[in-house]
Amino acid sequence: MQGNIYSMRDTFGKLLVEMGEKLKDIVVITADVGDSSRASYFKEKFPDRYFNVGISEQDMIDFAAGLSATGFKPVVVDFAMFLMRAWEQIRNAVARMNLDVKFVVTHSGYSDSGDGSSHQCLEDISLMRVLPNMKVIIPADPADIRRSFPVIMEELRGPLYYRVGREYSPSITDGLEYDFKLGKAYVLKEGDDVAIMGAGVVLWDALRAAEELEKKGISASVINLLSIKPIDEQTIEYYARKTGRIVTIEEHSIYGGIGSAVSEVVVKRYPVPMRFVGATGFGRSARSQRDLLDFYGINYKSIISSVMELLK
Amino acid sequence: MGERDGIPISLEELNKLKEIAERARRKVIRMLFYDQTIHVGSSLSSIEILTTLFYRYVKDGKDPINRDWFILSKGHAAPALYAIMSERGLVSDDDLWKIQDISGMLQGHPETFIPGVDMSTGSLGQGLSFGIGVAQGIKMRGGSGRVYVVMGDGEQDEGQVWEAMTHAVARKLDNLIAFIEINGFQLDDSTGSVKPKEFLPDVWRSVGWKVLNCDGHDFISLISTIDEAIKAKAPVVIFANTVRGKGFPVIENTKKQRSSPDDARKYLLNA
Repeated sequence: MQGNIYSMRDTFGKLLVEMGEKLKDIVVITADVGDSSRASYFKEKFPDRYFNVGISEQDMIDFAAGLSATGFKPVVVDFAMFLMRAWEQIRNAVARMNLDVKFVVTHSGYSDSGDGSSHQCLEDISLMRVLPNMKVIIPADPADIRRSFPVIMEELRGPLYYRVGREYSPSITDGLEYDFKLGKAYVLKEGDDVAIMGAGVVLWDALRAAEELEKKGISASVINLLSIKPIDEQTIEYYARKTGRIVTIEEHSIYGGIGSAVSEVVVKRYPVPMRFVGATGFGRSARSQRDLLDFYGINYKSIISSVMELLK
Repeated sequence: MGERDGIPISLEELNKLKEIAERARRKVIRMLFYDQTIHVGSSLSSIEILTTLFYRYVKDGKDPINRDWFILSKGHAAPALYAIMSERGLVSDDDLWKIQDISGMLQGHPETFIPGVDMSTGSLGQGLSFGIGVAQGIKMRGGSGRVYVVMGDGEQDEGQVWEAMTHAVARKLDNLIAFIEINGFQLDDSTGSVKPKEFLPDVWRSVGWKVLNCDGHDFISLISTIDEAIKAKAPVVIFANTVRGKGFPVIENTKKQRSSPDDARKYLLNA
């Protein structure tokens, strides 16, 4: 497995400081997880624009909404799971008033491996994508963060959910030349027999599966969806037509997540058989995120067996 | 409107406030002709507070940091807010009578797409946190605006109020004035029978707020208390004793929020 110099959260933390230098209206708000999320890098540079509200997620959301109402650009940084505690505040204040508040979550999916199921968040994509006005972006690796986060802060207004992991960050998009654009998917590999689609760190498994399939004479396209809401309907339709079968992979529940989002497009535009690789229950403790992905079968092996099933 | 703080009230102004409040009260009750599901009891509890704030304190303006903000955290008292807004000429009578109607602008709870509404509310316990964000934003930009938040006593059950209460003190926000209406009722029952509330002033004081008390239906009491609140160097909470359904005898001081169009007609003809 190819490594990255920085983890997902370190990359985000450093980039947040760079954006803070560029955009003076950025304020960073967290609920006592500044160090673990790397939001505290921002505090070192801009102590007056950094707020730790304490372990008070609900208050944090409306506080950010209020700052936004006076013209600031709040970036709310929290663990994915504990931000969900304030879902109703996100819904009723930020989304309902369509305020310019960005939510950046670390520790998403299984990335908080040791802490177990209370800290692992496999429901957030579904909960965020259902909200009117909310955009949902999931970078694949540190390179994808560097591509997308500046654009998000500089060009996109309104509520946006940005899903970052923790340490685990296999290289997926390094060296690829593409710019982030809202609602645009990116092709990581071209192939004719099946399309593997997903977002986040599990795209490493999508590429690995494609490699293995190649050895069996099966050619797979791999699509980095990146923008889950809005989603790239055109690209999804194109690859549904081109390959005739789709496997989705996500580090998230298959109920309401990325697979569901893709299937909503597919049934509308060009129905093809699909399989969904993802979680169906809670997580558990493990020494590494990789152990969990393998334990729950959210990996290249499951993708391969799903593809074989579709090709039968 | 607004910017009268600190100026002693004249008899003329007092009478004017009373007249406005009385007209607003009648408008809220008249809404019952058109919609029987609005929260009349909670609205009538807030009339004098809203009248006082909007006619004497809340500075209008477009600049978000040099005007005042008003947040109706107890969003179900929206009819009272709309009635005062109609007195201020922000909404028409036609709008008022279409409250909650599919063709109307005025929603069951405040929405920011309604002119003059600063925060969309309706889910309890969120207004104070938003107010803290606004007050903090004003401070950071060196603005002169103040933030007024009106909450209910039942609303104090929400855990988020605790989060916000402690947060405002940590930020030393002296441009934030919160009201808690003590009318003694929440949706299901009297507040005391649902959850005790009598310790609330002690809690707010212990946390670090300046705590004031007033009669929430008496203009002199309201004005002298708000004048004192404005001078404070800490966030201020005003416990305002009010009566649910104030002035509308068929529901006054009961948990009943609503009444019939017939009762409304009788009141409007006799009062």
